[in-house]
Amino acid sequence: MRRLLSAGLFALACCWAATAAAADRAGPHGPLPPAPVPADNPMSSAKVELGRLLFWDVRLSGNGSTACVSCHLPSAGWSEHSAVSRGYPGTIHWRNSQSILNAAYFDRLFWDGAAGSLEQQAQSAAEGAVAGNGDAAMMEMRLRLVPEYVRRFRDVFGTEWPRLSHAWQALAAFQRTLVSDQRRVPFDRWQAGEAAALPEDAQRGYRLFIGKAGCNRCHDGPLFSDQRFHALGTPRLALQQTHPLLQVTARWQNLQRGVAEADYRAGDDDRGLEYVTRHPADRGKFRTPSLRELKYTAPYMHNGVFASLREVVEFFDRGGGAAPNKSPMLQPLGLSEQEKADLVAFLESLSMDVPLLMASPRLPPTQPLESGDRHAPRR
Amino acid sequence: MKSFAAVLLLGLAGATPAMAQLSAMQPLPARAKTDPALVELGRHLFFEPRLSGDGSRSCASCHIPAYGFADGAALSRGYNGTEYFRNAPGLLSVRLKSRLMWDGRLDGNDLPTAVRDMVTEAHFMNADVRLAQERMRQIPRMMDLWRRAFGEKSEPYGPRIFVAIAEFLRTLDAGASAVDRHLRGEDVVLPLLVSEGMRLFHGKARCATCHHGPLGSDGKAHRLGVPENPAIAREPLRMITLLRHHATMGVPNYMAERSDVGTYAVSKRAEDRARFATPSLRGLRHSGPYMHNGVFSTLEDVVDFYDRGGGSESALRPLGLKPRERRALVAYLKALTGPLAVVEEPPVFDYALIPEAAR
Repeated sequence: MRRLLSAGLFALACCWAATAAAADRAGPHGPLPPAPVPADNPMSSAKVELGRLLFWDVRLSGNGSTACVSCHLPSAGWSEHSAVSRGYPGTIHWRNSQSILNAAYFDRLFWDGAAGSLEQQAQSAAEGAVAGNGDAAMMEMRLRLVPEYVRRFRDVFGTEWPRLSHAWQALAAFQRTLVSDQRRVPFDRWQAGEAAALPEDAQRGYRLFIGKAGCNRCHDGPLFSDQRFHALGTPRLALQQTHPLLQVTARWQNLQRGVAEADYRAGDDDRGLEYVTRHPADRGKFRTPSLRELKYTAPYMHNGVFASLREVVEFFDRGGGAAPNKSPMLQPLGLSEQEKADLVAFLESLSMDVPLLMASPRLPPTQPLESGDRHAPRR
Repeated sequence: MKSFAAVLLLGLAGATPAMAQLSAMQPLPARAKTDPALVELGRHLFFEPRLSGDGSRSCASCHIPAYGFADGAALSRGYNGTEYFRNAPGLLSVRLKSRLMWDGRLDGNDLPTAVRDMVTEAHFMNADVRLAQERMRQIPRMMDLWRRAFGEKSEPYGPRIFVAIAEFLRTLDAGASAVDRHLRGEDVVLPLLVSEGMRLFHGKARCATCHHGPLGSDGKAHRLGVPENPAIAREPLRMITLLRHHATMGVPNYMAERSDVGTYAVSKRAEDRARFATPSLRGLRHSGPYMHNGVFSTLEDVVDFYDRGGGSESALRPLGLKPRERRALVAYLKALTGPLAVVEEPPVFDYALIPEAAR
């Protein structure tokens, strides 16, 4: 059953490869092309299956409590329903957990683009002190005392013992299969010529999206994201004034990302892209998220401050908030109530009609190491 | 590190007559001078679980006051999700140790660095130091103690956390026993069996060759052939921490190892394989089980082991002790334990918001 499921996912990914040409013809908001695959981490069904197991495996964390899935729950659109992520025990994270659906299409990962690949993102999340807090050598050794992992890593990567860098590759390969099924996305079906697939209000919403509201200036392409970084003046999260641990995390983030002591002690703002570029003009900029599967991934924005799409639309209708580097593209829109409702209807049509769910796999057990191979390492 | 390796080379030199003069238990020295404000902060930090990665484990989790700051288990538990592969040593009079850890890899004169290792090590407290320091910043009553110790303008800073805990450790003196008073020349009559044990310790049983000085330790590493603790092969979580330790220390071909290589992990010299540092004999009544892997539950087991001349590949020789002599040695070892100072576990203070104005 497990193998069937993953083989199915893999086949699905390949099937999209065949429709790549069709995607090119479909215009700026056509269906997603096949997910790009880096040359140094080619896909295979065995690798995807290994990545699926690892995605659920709590041994890839400091104290064996927190797996990838802990903050990227299939039942919550492969994200979390809380404003900011729950984080590692004893901490709280400071940003909204992003859905990993369609993450395969992003050039850079994390809200501030700190990771350049899914492989790198997996490592950062597993090792970050407020995420997985895993020690690399410890996680690697845990994998090595799981005989089934030893076999699977050997089959996929050809190594005698599992290597942690290969775990990140397998996880990335698995995530490259977690993409929207265009046959279940009303907007994609409508674009493909199925006139009844998109209700009237959503069609009006789409015209606003690419017209009066101008959402497509940033939310363009099949992913509905320009993959660029913008400052919107997103409001602060009220939790920042009420949750001591969130203050701890905000200071720690700023400290470890190199913000000067006087500044990090005094403030708790998320500087976004500035952490990566070191350029003050990038302060408060965050990467445009994809709009696909939004129906399942509330709350919204980098800090999860908006609980509903309606709130998001209201925010953009106001022309965003106040921020030093705020994008000039954000101006009051003057949308009517009907227009806001139409925009929400359109946004919801970018999600599959049923969520992509996946059952938890049965994880292979940790077992004692065989003795007696001291002088005869396995080949 | 180089000088330590050189010390190790000398480690097993036989007891010459000249050394025998030096190789004797000595009384505990006077208390160290410490800074009371720093000690008080250090005491709170010693018991503070929020210094660990997931906020669950403090220094005191494995160094419990009632066990002479050992943990009473054969093998220490370690961080959540891990099981450690060595015995947690007691901390009584730890300030007198020249080397720390069973493989002697840390310098006893630098307790703050040793504390840092324990706080950050993945199998102990697995903390990110900067996250730990910002957690302390969020505890107003901890900050009161902090500023009393480091000044009104001072902000939490990882290395100072370690300095404060180290200052607290410097106060954890083993209580002086009747043996100490006897050694200081006071008019103390030791029980007959204890006196007999003391003579054997320094004579026929040759314990003092390695167990001398105020702690009863030469601070060097020796190979005794201590039996394996079967839990390490049986419980995979312990094998994980063992092999991971070897890997991080750079032991060649570490995946082929199945048992603790001891000081070899530090020096990479073949002759150091399975050598472990001579432990302190202070507070033995409280700090069992014994040996680097806790394989002996009682001091009787320990004395029997030495009487046999240790285990395989041991540098020890059989002693041929009579049953009464073994009892006398145990009586002496127990008599080295003085009263255990009461260290009060402080309350855990709450986190609180820092208002904008106070930043």
